[in-house]
Amino acid sequence: MADTRSKTSRPDDRRYCETHEWIKPDGDTMLIGITDFAVVELSNGNEGDLVYCDLPEVGRILKAGETFGEIESVKAVADLNCPVAGEVIEINSSIEEHLEVLSKDPWKEGWLIRIRPDAKSLDKLMDAKAYEKFLAEKAH
Amino acid sequence: MITTWGADPAFNMGLDEALTLSRDGGVTLRFYTWSPDTLSLGYFQKVRDVPGCERTGALVRRITGGGAIHHVHELTFSISAPASHPLYAGVIAESYMRVHGALCTALATFEIDAQLRGARALASDRKTTGMCFHHSTDLDIVWDDRKGVGSAQRRTRGRVLHHGSIKLATSSLEGEIATLRARAPELAVHDVAEAIKHSFRTAFALDFETAVPDADERTAARELGKRYVSHDFVHSR
Repeated sequence: MADTRSKTSRPDDRRYCETHEWIKPDGDTMLIGITDFAVVELSNGNEGDLVYCDLPEVGRILKAGETFGEIESVKAVADLNCPVAGEVIEINSSIEEHLEVLSKDPWKEGWLIRIRPDAKSLDKLMDAKAYEKFLAEKAH
Repeated sequence: MITTWGADPAFNMGLDEALTLSRDGGVTLRFYTWSPDTLSLGYFQKVRDVPGCERTGALVRRITGGGAIHHVHELTFSISAPASHPLYAGVIAESYMRVHGALCTALATFEIDAQLRGARALASDRKTTGMCFHHSTDLDIVWDDRKGVGSAQRRTRGRVLHHGSIKLATSSLEGEIATLRARAPELAVHDVAEAIKHSFRTAFALDFETAVPDADERTAARELGKRYVSHDFVHSR
């Protein structure tokens, strides 16, 4: 069964993790957020079902794969994982009060943290096509 | 399957984390009770939003979400499994429907016609207590027009921890909720645990081996459990 929960194809200007975070180069920094799939998985399509989000302090040093925050829907708390190593240099603090943004625009307005990565290569992560294939396989 | 009756709050929470972080890939169903009576806060709950939290024998913060539970006259259970397991795969709402379907089947053995709440409001809903049983969603299990099972999940490192609570009787902090003894006055936690185990075994083809925590699990539980009762963690929000 193909993933039919979102009709929107995922942006190809970024890379994706199996834990459903995305990471997008932005100059010397990188933006990190969660995918539309993650949002639907947590909220079942009800934007009001996302209730809390905790983001890290600016300056925190993260390892690749390390949990940098948590997000809660009405029925579950899930980790937010950092795809690559780096230093947190900015957080999207408005998200914590407006989680509905994640349902409306997880790709742009819904970014969570900005990091200065230790290395610029994202080659080990999935591109949009590979991520969508991963989702399709996961749905079987 | 692991049972630990009357354990202290730090051990109870530490063992669930140890089982969740376990890398052996298995499914562990655990039943337990608490001593002393304990109030567990949901992971994101603010202490000030739960007025009853100073009126219990102990206070902890869970790693699962949702509202506060007063662990007295109650059976707590946890199910730790990989996120890819058929029990938990897919959107979270679907995993709740699977878990709650098996629980409704178990409750039916005591002639309790438990159902998912759906769109209706409940007689047990309250706005200001912060208690899990006083706040309901469409996927919650109800009978007698009141919430009867508290549920919450944590999804971490490819694993899922599902916490559940079923009340034998009301408590000073959880009035007007659905209880088992309102329907079956002689019921004991062991009877309920056995029915749930049987239902999960049947519904998900799980072959549970009954055990107690081994030495490594007990050590991990003691170490991990310290955080759950620490002032910094409990009062972190």
